[in-house]
Amino acid sequence: MIESEASRDFRAEVIGQRSVAPDHHIISLRPLGLSSPPAPRAGQFYLLGTGDGLDPLLKRPLCFFNSDGDTIEFLYRVRGKGTAILSNLQPGSVIPVLGPLGNGYPISARDTDALIVAGGTAVASVYQLILGLGRKARVVYGARGRDDLFMLDEIKSATRELYLSTNDGSVGTQGTVLDVLRTLEIARGTTIYACGPRGLIAGVQAFAEERKLKGWASLEEFMACGIGACMGCVCKTRSGYKRVCKEGPVFPLSEVSL
Amino acid sequence: MNLQVNIGKLTLKNPVMTASGTFGYGEEFSEFYDLGRLGAVMMKGISLNPMEGNPPPRIFETPCGMLNAIGLQNVGLKRFIEEKLPFIRQYDTKAIANILGNTPADYVKLARALDGAGVDGIELNVSCPNVKKGGIAFCADTKMLGRLIKKVRESLHNAVLIVKLSPSVGDIRPSAKVAEDEGADAISLINTIPGIAVNLETRRPVLANITGGLSGPAIKPVALRMVWDASRTVKIPIIGMGGIMTGRDALEFMLCGATAVAVGTANFIDPLSAVNVVDEIERYMTANNVEDVRELIGSLQT
Repeated sequence: MIESEASRDFRAEVIGQRSVAPDHHIISLRPLGLSSPPAPRAGQFYLLGTGDGLDPLLKRPLCFFNSDGDTIEFLYRVRGKGTAILSNLQPGSVIPVLGPLGNGYPISARDTDALIVAGGTAVASVYQLILGLGRKARVVYGARGRDDLFMLDEIKSATRELYLSTNDGSVGTQGTVLDVLRTLEIARGTTIYACGPRGLIAGVQAFAEERKLKGWASLEEFMACGIGACMGCVCKTRSGYKRVCKEGPVFPLSEVSL
Repeated sequence: MNLQVNIGKLTLKNPVMTASGTFGYGEEFSEFYDLGRLGAVMMKGISLNPMEGNPPPRIFETPCGMLNAIGLQNVGLKRFIEEKLPFIRQYDTKAIANILGNTPADYVKLARALDGAGVDGIELNVSCPNVKKGGIAFCADTKMLGRLIKKVRESLHNAVLIVKLSPSVGDIRPSAKVAEDEGADAISLINTIPGIAVNLETRRPVLANITGGLSGPAIKPVALRMVWDASRTVKIPIIGMGGIMTGRDALEFMLCGATAVAVGTANFIDPLSAVNVVDEIERYMTANNVEDVRELIGSLQT
């Protein structure tokens, strides 16, 4: 292991692990052997190893959620073998990590207003963006039900306005984020940031096209190397296949081809 | 202590290479270590014209391995020579270009251009299972394969010629023999093994291409056996690959008859894999009083 001040290839110790909802966890990691770990930007991700064994073989990509001093945190849903193992890692366990990877959400000083649209666990991807933009942004956050909404208090205090929607109507508007978006007054020049399931992104893209708004979407794909070498994680865009780990995960909203 | 090995007239500083398709053209990994630490870099396959590749999903993890159906996405010959080759040339390692085509004429054009551009070796990809035409057809028919190798051989002046063999033929020995007969400097094996992953929820294949190539630790026993078969069939050097994660794995391939090895999927698990394999081979040699790594080639006792 080549140790250095700021390598993106390092080992990390599990400092904390907590469940925030059924199948949803927050894991906190402290990078080891790095005197100044590269600081992640909102929208970037890390590849987390599940251990040093041969199965599961590949690391799991999780979006950077939060940092707390020298620890980095990930809010994630247990979807399969790899995330199940991650969720059972006890404090003190050490795993290999690669990151931060990918581009982040572009923020321009010229942007006057922003609208952040997130679905379910995908709020993890935009959380730092929400904290960073603060009152310059409004947030539209939807999920299936109450159990799939996270960090509501923190988001409410950071953002100018928080709109919630749930499919089951248990919190906020009954319906989807699109239902909420259609009711909003949106100023020309507002930048939209979207992260969530494909259906959400497709809907936001169509909405943005209708209202002539520009924006950014964060995508995900199965990944192997995470650094742009294997060409495994491409997504289709209007300018051809692009690597989600390298040209992404954040792409211009109008470019994605779902 | 000697780690040098020869592939034809090419001398590698050590037997460790990186496998085509797993290392791009070197750029991404140069962030993590000096590529000059490697014996050679086998770069992503090049076609005459740029290729887009397959639609996603292109990859999927399987037990102790993964399937890939990248579909040969590459920048094409022109951009390779103009941008990618100069990059790898900055490092003190051998640069091996991997080439693919639909017709023998394609391969010859590529080989001539790359030989002229100064690559150290050309690896013929006649075994890629991921496209519908070309590729698999050559390696499945030994006569066709022989004619192809002969044509490419005649067109090369400097670069060594390596033929990459596919496990999908079942018995590797006829293709190994044909490669040697037609003048290849070496053979490399194995390429990936065709496989499928099924999504039971959607009742569809996981990969957009349906089939993909299986790689990783799961295929090592198959790869070792084919290297062993090939080593008892030909005298030309064998570059062994298939699930090499550690120096120990690499040494197992050498014992079975490989002169050199290529690290592939392991690069996705740990970007330092290939250079760790070099270090681990050195440590093994020191610990076991092996003065020259070549003593180990084909030394499996049966």
